[in-house]
Amino acid sequence: MKVVIRTDKLSKHYGKGGGIKAVDELDLEVYEGETFGLLGPNGAGKTTTVRLLNCIIKPTSGTATVNGYDILKKETDVKRVTGLLAESPGLYEKLSANEFLEFMGALYDVPSNILHERINDLLKLFGLHERHDQLLEGYSRGMKQKILIASALIHDPPILFFDEPTSMLDPRAALMVKDLIKKLADTASKTIFICSHILPIVEELCDRIGIINQGRLIALGTVPEIIAQTKTKTLEEAFIAVTGGVEEKELLAWREQKGASA
Amino acid sequence: MPAPKWLQIAKNEYRIHTSRIRKIRPYFPYMAIGLLAVYVAFIAPTFVNLFIGDFFSLFGLPPSLPPEVATAIVAAIMQIILFMIFFYFIILPITYTLKEVQTGQLEIFLAAPIKPGDVLLGEFLGVVPFYTIAVAVIAGSFIALLNPLALDMAQMTIIIIIFAVTFLSALWIGTVIAATLRTRLGKTARGKDIGRALALVIALPMIAIMYAVMGGGLIQALVDPGTSEMVRAVLGLLPSSWGAEVIVGFALNPGNISAIWLETLARFGGLIIFFLAALGLGAKVANRAYSLETITFAASRAKPDGSFYKTVKYLGGGGPFGTLLVSVFKDYSRRLENLSKIFYMVGIAVLMSIFFGIGDPEGALLMPQFILPILASFVVGEVTLRGKETLFIYKKTPSGVARLVKARLLHGWLVVLPITAVIIAVSSILTPQTTFFSLLTYAGIVVLYLAAVVAFVLGLSLVNPAFSDKSGNYMINQMITIFAIPNGLFLIPLIVLGRAFDFGLLHVLCYVTIPLSWLVGIVFLYLGKRRLSRIE
Repeated sequence: MKVVIRTDKLSKHYGKGGGIKAVDELDLEVYEGETFGLLGPNGAGKTTTVRLLNCIIKPTSGTATVNGYDILKKETDVKRVTGLLAESPGLYEKLSANEFLEFMGALYDVPSNILHERINDLLKLFGLHERHDQLLEGYSRGMKQKILIASALIHDPPILFFDEPTSMLDPRAALMVKDLIKKLADTASKTIFICSHILPIVEELCDRIGIINQGRLIALGTVPEIIAQTKTKTLEEAFIAVTGGVEEKELLAWREQKGASA
Repeated sequence: MPAPKWLQIAKNEYRIHTSRIRKIRPYFPYMAIGLLAVYVAFIAPTFVNLFIGDFFSLFGLPPSLPPEVATAIVAAIMQIILFMIFFYFIILPITYTLKEVQTGQLEIFLAAPIKPGDVLLGEFLGVVPFYTIAVAVIAGSFIALLNPLALDMAQMTIIIIIFAVTFLSALWIGTVIAATLRTRLGKTARGKDIGRALALVIALPMIAIMYAVMGGGLIQALVDPGTSEMVRAVLGLLPSSWGAEVIVGFALNPGNISAIWLETLARFGGLIIFFLAALGLGAKVANRAYSLETITFAASRAKPDGSFYKTVKYLGGGGPFGTLLVSVFKDYSRRLENLSKIFYMVGIAVLMSIFFGIGDPEGALLMPQFILPILASFVVGEVTLRGKETLFIYKKTPSGVARLVKARLLHGWLVVLPITAVIIAVSSILTPQTTFFSLLTYAGIVVLYLAAVVAFVLGLSLVNPAFSDKSGNYMINQMITIFAIPNGLFLIPLIVLGRAFDFGLLHVLCYVTIPLSWLVGIVFLYLGKRRLSRIE
């Protein structure tokens, strides 16, 4: 299988003397057409990894290739072959859906004869065609997320990055996004890289997953493989086993302090 | 071939700024150009002819000057005006950005195949049309003022270019600084707070110049050949003055550009070179201006309570209410935005004392009536701004509403009243013939008045709650505080009673303003508390 994302000791350190290791010597391979999930607790380094792979920030050391392009040497090419749904992206609320997608298409050099047709198709696909001229400030959170996904697809990139695609959505909108990702993977043969801390999403959508904690990749494989590696029964248990969690007996320890009750 | 990226970004910026007038967007440029042409050709000359006398008296100059002298004065004023335009257009984009530092859209740009220089240029060009309207109005008015000199076409054209280049240079510098600050400040809550704090105080130097022009005799100093040299030499270091010198040269040699061609070429050329250099440098720093690299991971830490908070707790009775009062203080004073508002108001009060000198001891009582209610509004008017959820915390607890009102009132007094006392004391000391007794009396009177105003503003903010500083209610409350309090409680009684019973300033304050303000304060506080109990 063709490898489309390959990281080679990819690292990003912050602070004095690089004391804070947001991503630490990450070695990873993602294959063409697969849906890969990067799982990890808050602050594990998921978003930093996505930003590094999209050339938004530069690595401290190591490198990576995306669709064969080196992220250090071929920034523009990398950006052209990827679409990104950021975790908390800034939407231009004073633009209509049409205007925003037009703008995003122009940023990615989509020819104008194709662009308008594509915007129409995407808005129809997301059920927002009727609202195409409404300002985005009037959209619900789920609708805004649809527009952001549409903007990540506007230049029809072969590789898509979804950073926490459902974390801010209600169950109905989350289900819609999940179905859409499935459809993109199954019928459009996209390579999809999902970052999330919501286990069922990753479990359901991803062919393989990697678990990252404190910047280091600590588990890699399919869900059954990871469960087997950790000798647990569920992905949730496996996740807790590799990332650490609070012991049951510690949960109510605070009540034993004298005078704790009001 | 696709359109350049900077043009797409500029178009996008233009769309964002005209989203409110989407229906007339296609016609907007023509309407704006048409209206500006009418203004420059007809309205400005008529307006200038009608009000030139008032214009001069505003700057403390005799209104009945012959046109030639008037024009020479205008030429001297030009230096100040161009300096102010220069400064204003630098701080405008910075203030706009700092008020609401957002980096969300940066990710869109950084993920797309675009050069940072294109983003910077696009963002800049996207807002230029709107600022151009303001500059066209200013430039049009000055060209009308220079009309009596009969400048030739070449001179007029150069003057227009000078205005345009001065403004474009300033706006570009402001845009670059704003983009850099946004990157540095936008990633942390602390940074955003610093941004909002800077957005307000950054205007103080501009206000100082304005006050110096209006009440400080700056224009007179510039017109007087003896004293103007030093001021002009200082201002001459700034590129805005190079253009002003060219205009002064034209004013002295109307219709004869060849007489001063060398000076014109040097100064005008210098201005153009400065503009091009600024453009080049800005494009170079664009890479740094657009970045999502985390600058710091250091989170702000709370120190153990020092003697200040221990005193506040003691003043609050020491127990749970003391702790609550300390929490209110901490939440307030750890926001730099709040501290900058206090600094801003104190700055305004100091500038007014310096440039609009107070003639007699009672005069020291006048200025605080107008300035200090705004301070009270800044301090207690933000009680509901953090949203309903914060208020619900109090509503959920036993006697929470009453305790919130009490804590915020005490907090308001503890912040506003000492500042008030110091301002009154300083402005009284600056006033001749002030005795220690009168100083104490005046400080006491104003403190008593402000204590009632704090209660009123707190009550008003609860009666008409604003859950964001962009809400209409917040604006209404501010307007009531700024206009209704000084006019309704002080100025109108002063005029009415002064005429009817020959009441002086001190009498009105003691017998009318203070009792009335306490009455209104208590009533509003009661109504505010009731309203807070019913907020859902």
